[in-house]
Formats: sequence, structure tokens, C-alpha cells
Amino acid sequence: MTGISAREVGVEFDGRVALRGVSVELTERRIAVIGSNGSGKSTFARLLNGLVAPTTGSLTVHGLDPAHQARELRRRVGFIFSNPDAQIIMPTVAEDVAYSLRGRGLARDEVRDRVTAILERFGLAAHADAPAHALSSGQKQLLALSAVLITEPALLVADEPTALLDARNTRRIAAALLDELPQQLVLVTHDLRLAARCDVALWFDDGRLIAQGSPAELLARYEREHA
Amino acid sequence: MIALYRTGTGPLHRLAAGPKLLLFAVIALTLSLLAPTLWMLGAALALVVAVYAVAGLGARELGRQLWTSRWLIVIMLVPQLIVLPPVVAVANTGRVVAIILLAAAVTLTTRVPAVIEATERGLGWTRRFGGNPALVGLVLALTITTIPVIAGFATVIREAQAARGARMRLTTFVVPLLVMSLRHADDLGDALAARGVE
Repeated sequence: MTGISAREVGVEFDGRVALRGVSVELTERRIAVIGSNGSGKSTFARLLNGLVAPTTGSLTVHGLDPAHQARELRRRVGFIFSNPDAQIIMPTVAEDVAYSLRGRGLARDEVRDRVTAILERFGLAAHADAPAHALSSGQKQLLALSAVLITEPALLVADEPTALLDARNTRRIAAALLDELPQQLVLVTHDLRLAARCDVALWFDDGRLIAQGSPAELLARYEREHA
Repeated sequence: MIALYRTGTGPLHRLAAGPKLLLFAVIALTLSLLAPTLWMLGAALALVVAVYAVAGLGARELGRQLWTSRWLIVIMLVPQLIVLPPVVAVANTGRVVAIILLAAAVTLTTRVPAVIEATERGLGWTRRFGGNPALVGLVLALTITTIPVIAGFATVIREAQAARGARMRLTTFVVPLLVMSLRHADDLGDALAARGVE
């Protein structure tokens, strides 16, 4: 079963409501999530990977229940954060990507081949043995993307992946996410140009999903209200 | 002090991670147990020089590692000079420095995944008692990976304070460094969880 299905989902942290009564059915390939800071959009994104558990309601992500199948869900749902530095686990580029394949029973040669292929795909092959922290911010985000996509997730959640990037790197990451991915994508972003390229947009405000629809229509309304 | 792998073809590069770590552990233990004399110190430092030469790491790398350890040497040596005879203080400090330099030679000639695999294999027996060798391996990897990040935080704090004309003080340096490090640890924890690390 593909897609995301939420019914009256709510999340509370230490008595503070971060998300309330979210009901949505999503089968579109590229889903934009917009809203002000603290609106609940990142909490919604984290729900999809099992990083946050719903306090109320029910949620199904690609047929899995995050509350009870978090481990399986994390194998099927990749997650990209805005800060690329915090996503690096191993010292070098190739080692960091290869780490994602640990525990999957793959032969060493297959791991090497897959790592080489994905690094070539994202233009990082020349940096394979370089210290990961020595890369530029854009390259680090491409590394994070490589480390996630090498596991071939069914869904990719990207929480403000271009927030710390310059225009050139933003274009590179946007192309990778919006044009080249066959997987379903949930893109949390403040960059309305990226949101406009998605198939559907969700608008969060004060922990609620207040609107859902075509990006063109929704973003025009959003811009009017935030002008 | 914990160095990143450098490509090479010397005997130390070719030696498998398991035996290399075991050999290092035996040498470190032996150096720790020997009496603090100038003979012991001479032998330890001769061993360090020989290891760097045989491994093809060279005098420059040895000097770089020694320079990186300079503050640790001062912190260890000064208090000992106050309470111990000079020979004992110098020999005690020297053996610790020798062990650090040998550890750096191990990390300079061994890829981190190989260290993790060797650690997991070596500690496999602890699973019977509830141990988690994979977690030990991960902690090792993260320790090595996080050092340049923390060093980067320190640089950012120093530059921010200099830009505002603030004088460097321990409290105004340590507190933001701790805050940034804890925030990084929090983010890293989320990233690990997101990548399926339990």
C-alpha cells in the first residue's frame, strides 16, 4: 500500500500541542508542506519517519503504522534535515554513504559498487575518500541525500533541505529532489518556488492543517496573507 | 589527536585492523606498567619514531601530531613537576604522549569501517552478557567524525567574539561551545534515528 493516511492525528510535547486534528490522504508523488515557523510542519514531517509518535489519532505511511512499526518504517522512509553537518556519521564521504547499507546482508563488492554509483550520480565521486566535514554545505546536503537514497526508500521526507544553501546548491538539490526522484517526496520548505513545483501543497498554521490543494492556488493565497 | 586515515601502502596500512588494534593495546599496556625511567621514555619514543618511519607517515606527520598534543603535554607535565621528581614527571608524561602518538598512527593507517568491524568482532562475546558491540563501533566512529565539528564550533565562537571586540574568557567560550555541542548532539541523534540506528 502506498501513500500517507492520517486521521485526526495530534502530537503533544510536554503538555504543548504541536499538531492537532490532522486528517489527510496523500498519494501524489511530490508533496509540499508550507507554513510559518512553529506551525507544525516539521512535526508532521517527523511523524512520517517515526521520529515523533502521534499522541492521538491514527497514521499509516506506506502501509506501516509509525507507532508500532517504527523500525520498519525507517527502512522505508528516508529523511533529510536542513543541517547537513548533523547528518554525517562516518569520517569520509564513501564511508558515510556505505554506513547506510550496514546490516542489510550485502556483499562488500556490492556495497562498493552501489556507493560508487550513487556518488557518481550526485557528482561526489571525486570526493569519495575526502573527509565528509570538509565538503561545502551543498555537497554535504548531496552527501546526506546519497546516504538516504542508497537505501532505496519508498518515501523521502526533506525538512527544509535548502535552508542553509546558496542559490546554486539550492537549484542542484531541488533538481535532485523534484526532477530526478522516482519516490514519493514530502518537502517541507519556506522556498515557495520549490513548493510551486510539487503536485500538491499542504499549509500548516498553529499546529493545524488549514488548507490543502494545488500549489499554484494555495501559494498565491499564502503569499497574499503573508505579504 | 585522533587523526583521519591517510592512504598508503606501508606494512602498517597492510596489517589487518584486528591484529593492529591488539598490538597497540599490548604496547599501550606494557608502556603503562613499566617503571617511569628515562630508559623507558627513550625506548617509547624510539618505538614511536620507528612506527612512523616504517608506516611511511614521516617526521612531518609525527611533528603535526606532537603539536596537536601540546596543551595536553602542558596540562599533564606541570602538575606532576610540582609533586614528583622531574625524571618521573617527564617519563610519565612521555609515555602518555607515546601512547597517543601510537594511537594516531593506528587511525592514520586504518579506515574507520575496518576499526568498527574489528571492534565488533573482538567484542562479539559480550553479546552473551547483553553487550552491544555495534554500539561501541558506532561510538568510535562518531568520536572520530565529531572532532572536526566541535573544532569548527570553537572557531565560530572565537571569530564571533573577535568580531564584537570581546575578550576571550573561559566562561564566554565554554558555555556557547557546550550549547552548540549539545544542540549538535541532539540533531545527530535525530539523524541517527532517521537512518535506522537504534
